[in-house]
Amino acid sequence: MLKLDAVTKRFFPGTVNERVALDAIDLTLHEGDFVTVIGSNGAGKSTMLNVVAGRYPLDGGKVLIDGRNVSRTPEHRRAKWVARVFQDPMAGTSPHLTIEENLAIAFERGQGRGLGMAVTNAKREVFREALATLELGLEDRLDMRVGMLSGGQRQALSLLMATYARPAILLLDEHTAALDPARAELITRLTGEAVARHHLTTLMVTHNMHQAIELGNRLIMMHEGRIVLEVDEAAKKTITAEQLLEEFAKIKGAALSDRTLLD
Amino acid sequence: MIIALEIGLLYAIMALGVYLTYRVLDFPDLTVDGSFTTGAATCAILLVSGAPVWTAMIAGMVAGMMAGAITGLLHVWGNINPLLAGILTQIALYSINLRIMGNRANVPLLREGTLFTWFRDNGYMKTWFSVAAFAAVVALVGIIVYWFLGTSFGVSLRATGDNELMARSQGINTGVTKVVGLMISNGMVALCGTLVAQYQGFSDISMGIGLIVAGLASVIVGQAIFGMTAVWQAVLAAALGSVIYRGVIQIALNNGFNPNDMKLISAVLVVLALVLPQWGPLKKMRRQRRRRQAAEAGVA
Repeated sequence: MLKLDAVTKRFFPGTVNERVALDAIDLTLHEGDFVTVIGSNGAGKSTMLNVVAGRYPLDGGKVLIDGRNVSRTPEHRRAKWVARVFQDPMAGTSPHLTIEENLAIAFERGQGRGLGMAVTNAKREVFREALATLELGLEDRLDMRVGMLSGGQRQALSLLMATYARPAILLLDEHTAALDPARAELITRLTGEAVARHHLTTLMVTHNMHQAIELGNRLIMMHEGRIVLEVDEAAKKTITAEQLLEEFAKIKGAALSDRTLLD
Repeated sequence: MIIALEIGLLYAIMALGVYLTYRVLDFPDLTVDGSFTTGAATCAILLVSGAPVWTAMIAGMVAGMMAGAITGLLHVWGNINPLLAGILTQIALYSINLRIMGNRANVPLLREGTLFTWFRDNGYMKTWFSVAAFAAVVALVGIIVYWFLGTSFGVSLRATGDNELMARSQGINTGVTKVVGLMISNGMVALCGTLVAQYQGFSDISMGIGLIVAGLASVIVGQAIFGMTAVWQAVLAAALGSVIYRGVIQIALNNGFNPNDMKLISAVLVVLALVLPQWGPLKKMRRQRRRRQAAEAGVA
């Protein structure tokens, strides 16, 4: 479904600040896979999602979706297959548009946008039904501007907008990190439900070890632009946060001692 | 005062165009100063050469749309800052406008048949009848703008100006929405130019200078008074803002200012409209109103 083939991304190439954010990454997601991604700051997790979404151009390698090479496809065209929820609850919705207008945009993802009315009574029914699955009462406030909603409500709406059109790939970039624990819990639950309902192939970055273990069927750990640990479906069922932290410390320690040796 | 109403209503079409770029697309488009004259010049030269009124006006509007497309492409393809892209087009248009008018700075229309000939011949100019007729035209344009902003394309245009990152991640080609938005906006500005040229009986190379400030004044003053929460409100405010702006100018003229002072008064008006809302007591009033609205809508 999604295949990264030796994907490389450098920031500030050719300057003293050059930094390899992704170092020839190989990763394959099969249909229905839900892979959680953990790793320290600057490990390249978010960069990987941005490369899949087409926000950053590649410096090497290929991105394939459904066997199609999309490495040169611009972001807005890739949106037909790739949907995202960002860490910032404000990023995924349009604040001055109403709830129904935001949903209208999401439900037309990957289609032409013509001069038909964006919101019709028939569509309102569909929106109401979809919003009811969030259990936040938003279905009764279709004409409210999204800027009036709380962060948690906006993130729930972003999640709905990302998943409703059944994207081939769903990218979640620490999408619960900016929320309070109760809201984060809610969004985590809604994520699990949405992914299961639409059988979505998902790549989720998280800082929360428990969330990384709880959600998804596979797990990868990244460090300095490389995938340093892959946990498959069988192993993931039994792994604990302590074991992951231990692995993490080992890898980090190894990287540190390598550098110490080089210095 | 009737003359201020007439002029305010004519310029309302320009204000609606400026609203589309400045507020909807969040793109302060300075092309306006040039494209207004482009519309006027194209229309005037065609009228002088004997073209029918409607042909001349549509040609003027299309010329304005092309000017908008150029600013859009400079910004989207050339990655040029919006303000600079607009200034570059505006400056280039100065030469183009002179060429359109046959290298003359002024094309008189005194002996040509125009849209307003019928009004003038029947003595309807500067009467409530002409005001009503102009208001009807502005209302029609306003309704079209309102309808357009509610279509799928219109909503994606608004999303582009509101949250571009989200728009692109939802599959909206924001380059296309920006270029098309600038084309529509400048088409309306140029259409306004064709109307003003016919109304005043000539097209002049300097008629567009500083016009963007008048447009911004109309939009900002109108929305400060009438609000901009709902789309219909914002559209109405832009149009009425233009009438208010011309009214203020007229009052200034009647009180000893001369026409040369108008640019200064326009600038001061825009500064006031931008700065006053940040003034403490007004801010508090707005915050209270917003809190009340939120409470009514059921959000704590």
